[in-house]
Amino acid sequence: MTDEEIREKIFDIIAKEARIDRGTLTLETKLEDLKIESLDMVQILFGIEDAFDVYVPQDDQSFKLSTLNDVVDGVKRLVAAKQQQTA
Amino acid sequence: MAEPVRVAVTGIGSISSLGHNVAEIWAALEAGKSGIGQLTQAPLDQVNIKIAAEVKNYDETKRFDERELLVYDRYTQFALLAAKEAMADAGIDFKKDAALGLETAVIVASGVGGWSTIDQAFYSLHKLNKPRAHPLTIPRMMISAAASQISMKYGLKGPAFCISSACSSSNHAIGEAYWMIRTGRAKAALAGGSEAEISLTSQRSWESLRVMASDTCRPFSKDRKGMVIGEGAGILVLERLEDAKRRGAKIYCEIAGYGLSADAGDIVMPDADGAARAMRQALQSASLAPDGVDYINAHGTGTQLNDATEVKAIKTVFGDAAKRLMVTSTKSMHGHALGAASALEAVATAKAIVEGVVPPTANYLGPDPDCDLDHVPNTARQAKIRAALSNSLAFGGLNAVVAFKAV
Repeated sequence: MTDEEIREKIFDIIAKEARIDRGTLTLETKLEDLKIESLDMVQILFGIEDAFDVYVPQDDQSFKLSTLNDVVDGVKRLVAAKQQQTA
Repeated sequence: MAEPVRVAVTGIGSISSLGHNVAEIWAALEAGKSGIGQLTQAPLDQVNIKIAAEVKNYDETKRFDERELLVYDRYTQFALLAAKEAMADAGIDFKKDAALGLETAVIVASGVGGWSTIDQAFYSLHKLNKPRAHPLTIPRMMISAAASQISMKYGLKGPAFCISSACSSSNHAIGEAYWMIRTGRAKAALAGGSEAEISLTSQRSWESLRVMASDTCRPFSKDRKGMVIGEGAGILVLERLEDAKRRGAKIYCEIAGYGLSADAGDIVMPDADGAARAMRQALQSASLAPDGVDYINAHGTGTQLNDATEVKAIKTVFGDAAKRLMVTSTKSMHGHALGAASALEAVATAKAIVEGVVPPTANYLGPDPDCDLDHVPNTARQAKIRAALSNSLAFGGLNAVVAFKAV
C-alpha cells in the first residue's frame, strides 16, 4: 500500500465516521478543529484498525496526535511494523 | 401525618475479586488490597488488555449441584451466593416466615445478565454450526434470571424484577427497593445486583471503546489510564427500621435517600450537571445538608473524564463542605463490576459506616489537579461516618445516588 493510498483511506474513514466533508480535509487539518465526538473517534480508530489490520495502542505516548499528518504518520509506522513482523 | 417509614440495612452478602464473602472482601478493602490480576476467562493472545478483577478460586461444582448448574449462569450463581449470605447475616429465614416472604421484594440488577450463556449459544450456532441450541439457553441468559432464581429458592413472593441501567443498575435497584418499603409496597427487600460478563467478546468490545487501563485502575490519581472490568454480586437485606429494632436485628445503617437523573447528553461522555442533580436530590430526600456527609463512595471508574467530571459535580453540590469530604473509589480494588458495581459499593459503604473505617483509593500514584479532593490514597482511614453517598454515573447518562445514614 503506497503512502498516498494510506492517506486517502484514512481521509475516507474520518470523513465517513465523523460526517465531515472530505474535501475540507488536508494533512495540516488539526484534529481538535474537527471537533470529533468521542464515539465518532472510537469508530475512526476501529475503522483504521479494520482497514489496515493493525492495533492502535491506546496509551502509547509515541502516538501523539495533533494534525491529520500525525494520524497518517502513525498509521504508516504501524503498517511498516506489521510488515516487518510478517516478513 | 404519620412519620415516614425508615429503611434499615440488616444484612449484606457479596462475592467479588476480593473474596467469596463479606468478611474476606472487607479485609481486602481495609488493607487497600486490589483484586485486579491477569485475565483468565479469555485467551490472553487474543486480547490487548490482559487484566481484569475476576472472582478467584471459584469452583461452581462446590457451590451448586448438577441440576442447579444446568440452569444457573455464572451471574445467577453469584447473585444466589450473595443473597444467601445476606439473609443469613440478617438472621431472617423466609422458609420459616412465609408471611414475610409474601411481602418481600427481590430487585436484582444486572447490566447484561447471562452473558456467557449467550456467548456460548452464539458460538455453537454461528461458528460450530450446531443444529440446535441448549434447551436452557433462554432461562439461563435472561437478565431477570437472578431475581427469579432467588425468589424461587427462598419463597419470596412480593414484587420481583430486574433493573438494568448499565453501571447504575444496582443503585437503581437499591433505591427502588428503598422506595417500595417506604411507600408500603413491600415490608422487606433483597436488593442489589450481579454481573459476570468477562469473556473474549466482552473484553474485546470494551477495548474498542478505549476506556480500559492496561496497567491497573487508579481512580482520581495522576497517570490514570482507565477502568478495569470486574465481576461479582452484592445483595442487601432491607427492612423497615421499626421491624428491625423490634426483632433486635443487627443494623448496619439506614438507606436514607435516593436521587436519580439523566444527563440527556452523550452515550459515553459524563456530564457534571446530571451527576450534581442526582447527588442534590439524594441529599434532599435524606434531609441531609452537605456538611452532614462525611464520605462519598464515588463512581470513580479511573478514566480521565469520569473522575474529573465527578469531582467537579461534587464541588458544585458540596461547595466548601467538599474540602472535608472523603471521596474514594473502591473500584480501584474490586474493579468495575458494571451492573453489580453499585451493589459492591453499597456493601463497602455499609461496612465503612459500622466499622468507622473509610476504604481507600488504591493504586494511587499522586494528585491530579483536576481531582483535588481528599481521596484517601492507598491506606484506609479510621473515621466516624455520619452519612455517606454512593454515586453511580452510568454510560448513557443514567445517574443514581443512594444516601446512607448511620443509625
